[in-house]
Amino acid sequence: MTDILRSLIGNALPDWLIVLIAYLLVTVIVLLFAVGNFIMMVWAERRVVARMQDRLGPNRVGPAGLLQPIADAVKMFTKEDIVPRTADRWVHLLAPVVSLAPVALMLAVIPWGRGWEPVDLHVAILYILAVSAVSGVGLMMAGWGSNNKFALLGAMRAVAQLVSYEIPAVISLLAIVILVGGMSLAQLPYLQAGVPLLGASIICGDPSGCASWLYSTTTLFPGSTQAPVQVLDVGLGWLVFTPVGLLGFAIFFIAALAEGERTPFDIPEADSEIVAGYMTEYSGMKFAVFYIAQYILNFTLAALAATAFLGGWQGPGVAALASMGGPWIHAAAALSAIYLLAKIWVLFFVMIWLRGAFPRLRVDQLMDFAWKLLLPLALVNIGSAALVVSITQWTGAQWGGLVNLDALTTWQRQLIAVAVSAIINGAATYWILSINQRPVLEPEARDEEWAAT
Amino acid sequence: MNTFITILFVVFAVYILVAAIMTVTVKNIVHAALWLISSFFTVGALYLLMEAEFIGVAQVLIYVGAVSILILFAIMLTRDLEGTQNRQMTPRWWIALIVPAALFGLLITPTVLTYQWQLPPPAPAGQSTPIAGAAQIGTAFVREYLLPFQVASVLLTVALIGAVVIAFEERERRRYVPTLAEKVRQQQRVRRPDPAASAMQSSETAGSET
Amino acid sequence: MPSMTEAVPLSWVLLLAGALFCIGLFGALSRRNTVGILLGIELMLNAVNINLVAFWRYLEPNVVAGQTFALFVVTVAAAEAAVGLAMIIAIYRSRQTVNADEVDSLRG
Repeated sequence: MTDILRSLIGNALPDWLIVLIAYLLVTVIVLLFAVGNFIMMVWAERRVVARMQDRLGPNRVGPAGLLQPIADAVKMFTKEDIVPRTADRWVHLLAPVVSLAPVALMLAVIPWGRGWEPVDLHVAILYILAVSAVSGVGLMMAGWGSNNKFALLGAMRAVAQLVSYEIPAVISLLAIVILVGGMSLAQLPYLQAGVPLLGASIICGDPSGCASWLYSTTTLFPGSTQAPVQVLDVGLGWLVFTPVGLLGFAIFFIAALAEGERTPFDIPEADSEIVAGYMTEYSGMKFAVFYIAQYILNFTLAALAATAFLGGWQGPGVAALASMGGPWIHAAAALSAIYLLAKIWVLFFVMIWLRGAFPRLRVDQLMDFAWKLLLPLALVNIGSAALVVSITQWTGAQWGGLVNLDALTTWQRQLIAVAVSAIINGAATYWILSINQRPVLEPEARDEEWAAT
Repeated sequence: MNTFITILFVVFAVYILVAAIMTVTVKNIVHAALWLISSFFTVGALYLLMEAEFIGVAQVLIYVGAVSILILFAIMLTRDLEGTQNRQMTPRWWIALIVPAALFGLLITPTVLTYQWQLPPPAPAGQSTPIAGAAQIGTAFVREYLLPFQVASVLLTVALIGAVVIAFEERERRRYVPTLAEKVRQQQRVRRPDPAASAMQSSETAGSET
Repeated sequence: MPSMTEAVPLSWVLLLAGALFCIGLFGALSRRNTVGILLGIELMLNAVNINLVAFWRYLEPNVVAGQTFALFVVTVAAAEAAVGLAMIIAIYRSRQTVNADEVDSLRG
């Protein structure tokens, strides 16, 4: 962006001003993109859920009801702004802002396309998790500042849910951090090149005999000191195709549903139980800000899941286009952005689908699910991720002479790693699921059982 | 660019101090906690300015995401009844003011301003000084700081179990909170005492008199 | 790449940390509410952390010791907050108050 501005404006402005303008422009573009997606998501959700429930959904304003969100926005803007008399005025007013701001901050580190990352932070994954934790404070402020028991109950539920589901989300992403050896999100899609299951591990033996559109040049694994090699690359080495990535993706996606307060985890705003949760006392624009924050959070979490597990912008053809050089690099960037957007929308469609299909959980079921099922699975997943790294990257000396894999080629080692992690993850999933399906004994029956042993 | 960083630093510093002062002086304890959270967040931004990415993000994750939520939950679980919290300061709060003021004015400021720091020479033009990042911290935690790292994890486990044990309340000892219907029934019983019970009571008192 | 070491002298950062520490000390000494005392202690721990990170950045940026120390302080602060708040809740349950000067049954 800085280079483009520099070429447009020339050398009239000092460096720091150009950098500042570039960042402002990128910020505006990303925020507008997110809000545009928010509008489309609201429309899509209403239409798709209506279709699933055998209704029509909004179909009056504009073609197929496409302008309905804009009509809603006009309604929200013109509504009266109500602050309850006993509310804590400033806390009540600041709460929507505090819950929207972290969500907007999360957009900054997502790589939207090949070479289209607004900020390349070394600790991007940790940054996203840290910033998403801040929105809990906003919910707490909303619940307390409204001075309403339903609002407070909803806020307590929301924060308890947010804090519990953050742990499986963090740990499932940690497995990815171990696999790729870094916390930078911008690097993640590059590392998911290659073919399904094996990733970028099939090396071209003879550099002159490999077609350039099928092979690309990469280092074998992050941090390796060997020279870059030619590997078979069709842009499908997504982590979700490996056992570790599959389990991690399942855990992360469920945790993301809970963090974004989607059905079946929409307990904090269960309208049949506690009115509208922490949003009870909010009207007009303040309500709209909460609404925007929630949808953009869902959008960002879907983007994060797509980037970490589904290859991000990686897809067939991107590397081939980029290798042609010149103006084709921009074409590759555009194609990659379309891939990422398609993945985000597929994930969002699954979210809507789940909303149409599942009833709401109870609070105790919610907590059991996080602590007894997701957390143990995520911990097992970390173990198998470490095993995968050791099988694919360690030399015989690092194993201490126990195992020697030096003689095998890269793709053979990758295949062994996949088999081992598949066995571990499959067995652990089966075992933990079967434990959780055992009926919980009543206290009296449990005492009797204890007495019998 | 340097002026820009200086301005940023001054803005952050002033905000941190103002938020801290509000934290210790404001009357409403929830507002105090919210000021503290904003101060934590700005300290995280200050770490980013000092190019300590990992610490800055960890600060936000742990302090703003976890500790502050813990504090807010604790405040809401221990809310005082209305009207009892009219005095926030201890009676001799002015002594508490003198000690930190003296510490700052007489000890910290002169020491900091007069000591000659042996700063490393600035990097030659065009190069940047090597800075230890997240990768180096991670390596250090499994090499030379392995024992402290494990002790810290044991400490966290102990704190986790300890907090649960201390705050755990057995079901039988839980304070009984009557529902609205039970309250109303109780009040009605007080207002219109049961005729049979009052007759028995009067006979008892009559018996004790004789 | 401009850095903070050229733009801001070390003593400014240390003065900021010192002032933050003293404000936290005042809060911890003057509050009646035990949660308020805890808030003051958290401020003091933050001041220490600013100091550690500043020394790391200005004096030896290529060694990790300062950052590691700061991370340990954060760990201890989190543990301290968890146990301290659990104690406050336990005290509130048995005496219906969180004011430090009303919890004085050990006074001779």
